[in-house]
This record gives sequence, structure tokens and C-alpha cells, in this order.
Amino acid sequence: MHVIEVNNLTKTYGSARGITNLSFQVEQGEIFGFIGPNGAGKSTTIRTLLGLIYPTSGSAKIFGKDCIQYGPEIKKEIGYLPSEVFYYDNMKVKDLLQYSASFYKKDCRKRIAELAGIMDLDLNKKIDDLSLGNKKKVGIVQGLLHEPKLIILDEPTSGLDPLMQQRFFDLLEAENKRGATILFSSHILSEVQRLCDRVAIIKEGKLIQLEKISTLQENNYKRFKLETKAPVSPDYFQLSGVNELKVEGTTVSFLYKGNVNAMMSKIAAIDLANILVEEPDLEEIFMHYYEKED
Amino acid sequence: MNMVLHELKAYRKSTILWTCTLVAVVVLLLSMFPTFARDADQFKSLLKTMPEAVLKAVGVQIETITTILGFYAYVFMYISLCGAIQAMNLGTSILSKEMREKTADFLLTKPVTRTQIVTSKLLAAFISLLITNVIYLAAATIMAMVVKNGDFEMSKLMMISVTLFFIQLIFMALGFFVSVLVLKIKSVLPISLGTVFAFFIIGMLGATTGDGAIRYFTPFKYFDPAYIMQHASYEGPFLWLGLGIVVAAIAISYVVYRKRDIHAV
Repeated sequence: MHVIEVNNLTKTYGSARGITNLSFQVEQGEIFGFIGPNGAGKSTTIRTLLGLIYPTSGSAKIFGKDCIQYGPEIKKEIGYLPSEVFYYDNMKVKDLLQYSASFYKKDCRKRIAELAGIMDLDLNKKIDDLSLGNKKKVGIVQGLLHEPKLIILDEPTSGLDPLMQQRFFDLLEAENKRGATILFSSHILSEVQRLCDRVAIIKEGKLIQLEKISTLQENNYKRFKLETKAPVSPDYFQLSGVNELKVEGTTVSFLYKGNVNAMMSKIAAIDLANILVEEPDLEEIFMHYYEKED
Repeated sequence: MNMVLHELKAYRKSTILWTCTLVAVVVLLLSMFPTFARDADQFKSLLKTMPEAVLKAVGVQIETITTILGFYAYVFMYISLCGAIQAMNLGTSILSKEMREKTADFLLTKPVTRTQIVTSKLLAAFISLLITNVIYLAAATIMAMVVKNGDFEMSKLMMISVTLFFIQLIFMALGFFVSVLVLKIKSVLPISLGTVFAFFIIGMLGATTGDGAIRYFTPFKYFDPAYIMQHASYEGPFLWLGLGIVVAAIAISYVVYRKRDIHAV
């Protein structure tokens, strides 16, 4: 069964943002990545799925039911973590979580205690007094306390320190093993790569690519930046898999896709002052998808 | 029910504060009554020297001002002004608070319909106003008993006092309507104070010019204490008009809010 089924979903806001004819499916039990730069339409899609905004045309189904018509029923089994978390300030964490739990007809106390333990969250603090990262933890607990079948995360990791991020990912993986389907929206490629089975890449409101992560990883680009002691000839790095080669005197930069060993031995042959190898940011990856698509 | 309780808790402070204010105002104003009543004739002749337009604008009726009911009817104008501000604040906050504190996402992603959300919030506001009015009514009645200079008809005092609730319901509905129509309200107070005072001034102008038609444009004049004192009843058309405004404002708000896109912050 498709847990999420989006059919030709279009949402226009005047002229600026929005999504156009978006279609994709999320299968039961998978962790589905949803990536794109800021303003690509990720949040718009998610907000439509949650019935916060209404589609201009097209439709979306969750658990096989229309997400507008059956909204309240569907939401019993959805956990949602928004990108920016704001909660009623003059409440204690404990009270807010209990209020949240009171919407679901089950006893969530044990799960709240468990989750708070995992995320290292103090339940007796006032939400006012929490840092951004701690507020985010409240959001995480709030989104997971009713053991939802579908977890929707909109850029969930901002504000979490690496340790908490790690625990959060472990938590998500455990939820996934338990049978939960996860829709994970992010603009950070490495997060998505680490966690997701499949990924939809979206830009300017359109679906550019829908791939298995394994496929995406084969197309894995690395950005190389070198400083050499002596100027190198531009031709030296002209081999297949190299893109966007820039040589300016002793600095060289390019994107590389292919066997790293081949590249490393090539580099080892020159006298280096400095070297930097990094994941290209998402924009750069997108540029390549565009070039291929065109 | 969980939402109603949550909302009641959220309004608790302001409800207590406003209730105390209203009680304080009625106690203070009525405690002045014995002074006026003692020198009734002197006081009346003093009032007669004032321009009639001024007397009308501030709602003074010389014949009755030295009786407890007449005096109460006079000060009630200012109590209803306070009450209207409370109610309009409440009504305007109901939904705009969620947008301002950016908590709308929290509620709307829970398994409830928007209708349920609005209903719970309205119910909580209604209960808050009801509590305010019960306490106010008790305070006004006790105070009137304490300061009275002769027998008076308790039922008429009650009837006048209850119009506070009617006026508050109208202003709450108006505030709610405004909060649904205006997308983002940064601050509630200017809107509620502005609206309430505008209607109050319309009421004063209407009373001065004696133009009966103006009464229809301000809820402050829907329930005329002088009429209640004379007839021991409310004026039918205005009662219906008030009810109509409340029903229409709330009904339209429901429809608009159900269709509204809730945008990200």
C-alpha cells in the first residue's frame, strides 16, 4: 500500500512560491527523503499533506484516504515535527506534552518518559526557558509520543547538536523498524543519504528526480580544492568525471565523480601545499541534475 | 474538551483581572451614590445648569439620577465600556494568538477538525465571559443593597446588569470576526480599543443629537437602561439585532476559517 500518494498536486500562492504538478508515492515502511533548496516547495507539500493549506489542484492521499476530506482521521496516525518549533510559552514541557497526548485516545505517559529520557529533555522546565535545541527536542517528543504510523519531519535537525542528532536518527531508525513510514524533508544531503531509502529531489516546485539513495550515491560528486606548490597545467586534470574545472595559478578546484583511487593517485603525483575534499552542497548537485535533464 | 480546558487556562489570568476591574469600578462608582442622594435637590439643580447636550451625551437623566436604579443606569454606561473592551480583546485573541505565537501548526496537525478548534475556543471565551458576569452581577447587587436609599426593584437592576453580558457577546463576536478576516494581527489592543471607543463615541453622538437611527449602529445603545427601568423589558428589535450580529459574525468566521490556508511562519 502507498502510505502517501501525491497526484498532480499544485499549489500556487499569487506568483511566488508553490508547487506544480507534483506526483510521487511513499511506500509502507520506507524512509523517504525529500530534498531541495530553501523555497523549493518542500514545506508547501508537507503542509498540504497535513491539511494546513489547501491544494489549488490535484490531490494527495495518506493511508489511501484523501488528506483533506479525511484529515482528522488520518492525523491520528501522523506525527509531525515542524521546522521551526513554537509552543505555548507559559506552559511547562510536561503540560504541553500531556496536552498534545490528550488529542490521542491512548495512554502516552510511558512513551513520553521514554522519549524524554532518550532525548535528554527536562520535563519540568518552562518552555520559555528552553534553548532552540531543547525546544526542538520538545517537538521531537511531541511528534512521536503517540507512536504514529507516519512520521513527517520538516527539516528536523536544525538546532540539534551532533550528539542529539545522532540519537534522533537512531530513534527514527527504531521507529522505522517498528513499522513507521517516515517522510524526511531536508536541504542537507548527508542527512538524507544516511537515513533514507529513496529520495525525491525538488526544485522550484517541481520534482526533478526520484531515486534510490544507492543510485544517488553512485553519482556521488566530491568537490576537490587543491593548492599546489607549482602552477599546474589545466590539462592535467582533464579526465572523465571531472566537472567545473577551474585553474588559477596554483589553486585548482573541480567536481569529481568516479573512482576516487584514480583521482588520488593523480593528485599524489603533484606537490601539494593544501588539499580539501568535501561533499558538494546540494545546489551543486542540482546543477548537475539540471544539466543532465536538459 | 481538552481544548476548552486548555483555552480556559490560557484566558484565566485576563479573566480574573478583568473581573476584578469590573467589580472595582462598580464598587467605586456605586459608593459615590450616598453622597449624591443625600443632597439630591442641590445636585439636581446643579445638573440643570449644564447644557442638555452634555447631559444626554454622558447619559444623565435628571429625574431618576438620585434613585439607586437611575444612578446605576448612569454608571452602567462606563461599566459596559470596560466590559466591551474585555470581550473584544478576548474575541480578537482567540485565533490571532495562535498565529502570533505560531502555535497554529500544533493544533491543526492534531486529529481534530477546524470546526472543533473554533468551537472549543469560542466555548472557552463564552465561559470566561459568563464567569465574569456572574461575579460582576453578584458584586453589583450586593453593592446596590449596601448603598440604597430606599426600596428598588431588584429585577430591573438584574435586567440592566445582564445587558453587560449581551454587549460583551456582541463585541466578542465582532472581535472574532475581525481576527478571522485580518490575516496577521500583530497587536490586539489597538484594534479592540479602537473599535470599542469608535462605537462608544457613536453612541454618545447619537444620544446628543437624539437621532434614533444612530442607535442601530452601536451595540452600546441596544439595551437602553431607561427603557428597561420603565418597561421592565428589553426592546425586541434591538435584542434580535444583537443576536443577529453575533450569529452572523460567528457563522461567517467559521466558514472563512475552515477554508483558510495556514501559512508557515
